[in-house]
Amino acid sequence: MRGGVNRALAICGKEWRIALDTPLGYVVATAFLLAAGFFFGNHLFLIGQADMRGYFGVMPLLLMFFIPAMTMRMLSDEQRSGTFELLATMPVQTADIVAGKFFAVMVQVSALLALTLLYPATLALIGNLDGGQVAAAYLALFLLAACYVAISLYASALTSHAVVAYVIGFGMLFGLFIMMQAMPTLSPQAQDFLTAVAPLSHYQLMLRGVIGLDNVGALVSVTVLFLALTWFQLERRQWR
Amino acid sequence: MIQANQLSRKYGEQFAVENLSFHVHRGEVMGLLGPNGAGKSTTMKMLTCFLPPSSGEAFIDGASLHDSITVRRRVGYLPENAPSYSDLDVHSHLKFVGAMHGLMDATLTDRIREMGVLCGLDHVMYRRIDELSKGFRQRVGLAASMLHDPDCLIFDEPTTGLDPNQIVEIRKLIRRLGEKRTVLLSSHVLPEVEAVCDRMMIIDRGQLQTMGTARELSRQARGEALLHVTFKASSEAVFDLLRESVKEIGVELRETDTPHSYAIHHPDPDYPLAEALFHAAVSCGSVILEMHSEQATLEDVFHKLTGGGQ
Repeated sequence: MRGGVNRALAICGKEWRIALDTPLGYVVATAFLLAAGFFFGNHLFLIGQADMRGYFGVMPLLLMFFIPAMTMRMLSDEQRSGTFELLATMPVQTADIVAGKFFAVMVQVSALLALTLLYPATLALIGNLDGGQVAAAYLALFLLAACYVAISLYASALTSHAVVAYVIGFGMLFGLFIMMQAMPTLSPQAQDFLTAVAPLSHYQLMLRGVIGLDNVGALVSVTVLFLALTWFQLERRQWR
Repeated sequence: MIQANQLSRKYGEQFAVENLSFHVHRGEVMGLLGPNGAGKSTTMKMLTCFLPPSSGEAFIDGASLHDSITVRRRVGYLPENAPSYSDLDVHSHLKFVGAMHGLMDATLTDRIREMGVLCGLDHVMYRRIDELSKGFRQRVGLAASMLHDPDCLIFDEPTTGLDPNQIVEIRKLIRRLGEKRTVLLSSHVLPEVEAVCDRMMIIDRGQLQTMGTARELSRQARGEALLHVTFKASSEAVFDLLRESVKEIGVELRETDTPHSYAIHHPDPDYPLAEALFHAAVSCGSVILEMHSEQATLEDVFHKLTGGGQ
């Protein structure tokens, strides 16, 4: 067990090292912070609302573009360059590989979200900020990001081309987004089903400031489901 | 020690490897030869637990492939084309590989230093791998495979992309490793296998064709004793005498620039033809200018067994 954790941490550390040594990580991080800053500033200065509802409303869209970019190389590059064979013949379980990759991206995403805490801090200085609601929203954002990372990681396991992985990951997240947009046009049964399983519906419920166990559970379940699918995809070679 | 029993791997309905059985002892270097698509890499992928066998079983130092984590701890594997993390520098790559094998920091630092010296990487240790030549990347792969000091080493075409000097160095290194460890290597380069390996096996279309030392394979391929001889003058009397004492002997005049040049063969590859011919020539007073036994080369064996001669 401890060996597995150490190996997952070694994979996580290796991914961090690569992210810090290559320009892609910096480009994605800078672009994300600029875009988040733009939407925050837009609501505050142009619309003149000193709250963060608009900001948290647009964050899922930003994550939909940026998270597939952060995960696209994670497993596709390993398969393209042949290093997956190296990795899979080391004394490590496939689950540890998936966990290491997932935590590597989650640490990056968490660091980016932590940097955006500057915006609520600014707002707290100039107005009345509901700290509890913002904290709940950040927790929801973190859990939604975890869902998106797991979905994008699965996309990266499906192909050996990073760009194709991005397109698949973005396509899956966009599909979930479109489903939410189309929800009012669906039958009541379909609406109930989507409300129960779609990550965005749980995120929106949590934005109201109430952390429901069912909402947290649903977001965690989708994350675990896609991590399991990633594991399955990597193990498939064993059964071909 | 590597022990494979009836190892098979199917892709769909097609056998990539079929009922392959062999063993490699500790202190022995075994060469795996075969044309493209013969199943060499698939065999290695099975032995390193990257692919499970469809049927059959193999053991690495007594550990079954089903106990894959133990097997992977005991094996050092260099996959084809020596993949490595090109965005990392050599030191970081080796550190990652060591951490994955559970090496502690102090041991890992020492092992990286040792491997750096052994594989000639000490002066490129902090250069990014994507800036290195193919030869150096190959060395990085070799260093990574030996980092955790495994008892069993499996190298898939270890000298691909190396220059002649590097090839000589790596061959020496493999020979040295093979003195105490179990080494299985695949190669397309027949002289390399001959120079490095104690024994070799040839596989074709997933099936074992033959296995043995270079000398044994050579004998198997020839199938008969063959002697080339050149006399100073006509020597029919010598052959008449030979035919009287050795019934199954065959004599053919060779079409060369040199007159009185013959090929003499006997169905038994171990028959002492040279000795019999010498005694016959002395009895008849004939002068032999040149005489040598013809050996089948590894190329001949490979050609014959893998269908190249058809």
